[in-house]
Amino acid sequence: MNAHVKIFLVGVLGVTLVLVALFVAVYGADSGAILRGVAGRTPLLLSGSADFSAFEGGFAANIVISLWAMALAAVAGTALGVGMISQSAVIRGPSVLVMNVLRNSPWLVVLYAMLYLLPFEVRIFGRFVEISPMIKATIGLALPVTANIAEVFRGGVGSVPTGQWESARALGYRRLQILRRVVVPQAIPIMTPNLMTTYAMLFIGSSLVVVTGTHDVLSVARTVIASDGDHVATAVYLYILYLFFLFCFPIAILTRWLEQRVRVRK
Amino acid sequence: MTDVQPIQGQPAPKPQTQDQSSAPLIELRDVHKSFGSIEVLKGVSMSVRDGGVVCIIGPSGSGKSTILRCINGLITIDRGTVRVGSFAVETLKKDKELVPLRHEVAMVFQQYNLFPHRTVLQNLTMAPVQVLGEKPAVVRERALALLAKVRLTGKENAYPGELSGGQQQRVAIARALAMQPRVILFDEVTAALDPEMVSEVLNVIRDLAREGMTCVLVTHEMRFAQEVADEIFFTDKGVIVEHGPPGRLFKCPNDPRLKAFLDKVL
Ligand SMILES: Nc1ncnc2c1ncn2[C@@H]1O[C@H](COP(=O)(O)OP(=O)(O)OP(=O)(O)O)[C@@H](O)[C@H]1O
Ligand SMILES: [Mg+2]
Repeated sequence: MNAHVKIFLVGVLGVTLVLVALFVAVYGADSGAILRGVAGRTPLLLSGSADFSAFEGGFAANIVISLWAMALAAVAGTALGVGMISQSAVIRGPSVLVMNVLRNSPWLVVLYAMLYLLPFEVRIFGRFVEISPMIKATIGLALPVTANIAEVFRGGVGSVPTGQWESARALGYRRLQILRRVVVPQAIPIMTPNLMTTYAMLFIGSSLVVVTGTHDVLSVARTVIASDGDHVATAVYLYILYLFFLFCFPIAILTRWLEQRVRVRK
Repeated sequence: MTDVQPIQGQPAPKPQTQDQSSAPLIELRDVHKSFGSIEVLKGVSMSVRDGGVVCIIGPSGSGKSTILRCINGLITIDRGTVRVGSFAVETLKKDKELVPLRHEVAMVFQQYNLFPHRTVLQNLTMAPVQVLGEKPAVVRERALALLAKVRLTGKENAYPGELSGGQQQRVAIARALAMQPRVILFDEVTAALDPEMVSEVLNVIRDLAREGMTCVLVTHEMRFAQEVADEIFFTDKGVIVEHGPPGRLFKCPNDPRLKAFLDKVL
């Protein structure tokens, strides 16, 4: 882990320096004043509220949306992955087709599609339940990621030697039991780094949900720029870049560490 | 998905009278099997009595493993019949129908194929509990006794990766026995072992054979075959060329192919 801690520290330091340099290059003598101004907007950008009284918007919304989307995609992707390795062509064919359609859909297009495909509200047990922009954003992000997870699942299952299937079958296990009891538990260490990379990608992609009208960090940024003036725009976006970097970089480092551990154990 | 599968249909009762025990427990008649365009089995017939120990010998690629896989229904056959006890194996198509057969016929593989993510004890108890629906406490007792039998007491909580090849193969034999089968199929179980570990595994098999377990062994250990088998089958290019008691077969082989084979391996 030591080498990874070093990479992490160097990475954080390096990126911080680069962003600061950019900032100073853009703002020159005004740097101090602008920095104080933008720093004052931190609660709004992080939580969507001016004083951290709620966490319903801003960067927190990106985190919440990405976690829900990941959970949805994990369930749907596993189901799709099981379908893709089914012995029955009737299940396998459509599963592979769906996976390919989802994987090749531009994320932004899917998000826009959700805006128009999903109704404004649905009737459940006679009551109207609103489908908020946040729910639409979550589903829209989860769809393409479902395809990624299905692929990770298929790859992970494929990496388990066929002898495991054979001996489990000889012991009377049936297909789904073999997956659950024998193959998937062995595939998880191999799948985990890939899933983490997928999540990091999903998290970066969560910046796109601004088009659904969610109060994510970018929509808060727009509000800030509208009220404080165009000259703070560069500073605000650099700040947001930095936030995304601070969130995703540790995931990348952890992923690499896990990958190495899996390789060593083999 | 359900784990506990009630046994469909009763396994055939063990023959009790002298008369019945002379009827073969395993009977293959004119079995044909092709993989794609290659015909691997071209009309194989053989029978094994209850409590019998037979060895299948023959050159690489002659179909020995394929014969074993037909007996426990790991592969479906194209033509002919396979009967084990009361089961007409070729008529069992669904995974579910095969469970009672897998209960009767266990298999041990060249590459051990233990479940690496489970401890030694769990490797033994998993299938009886999860497939046969037996009580964990009962299975545990039996598993501990079996580990003692294969001289691995004390290794209950080790993982397969921590054991030597010979130890792993003995665990695999104990795992097969934990299913309380009537027949065990051994597919070149010493072929992957270092020479000094071969005898510890053969000792275990010898004990089983003496206790009256029905055994079908594919092996290259000719001396061992001569010692334990009451009948030897010699396969070449998908047919059984010659069979008979080891004394006769090894001393005065009739078929020139068997002669050539024995010259090479003895
Ligand atoms: N699942 C399969 N798909 C295609 N071909 C197969 C399959 N299983 C076996 N074969 C082929 O069938 C032939 C017989 O295989 P089999 O494993 O039964 O031989 P064997 O006598 O056990 O040989 P060995 O001593 O090398 O284990 C070989 O040519 C093999 O390549
Ligand atoms: Mg073989």
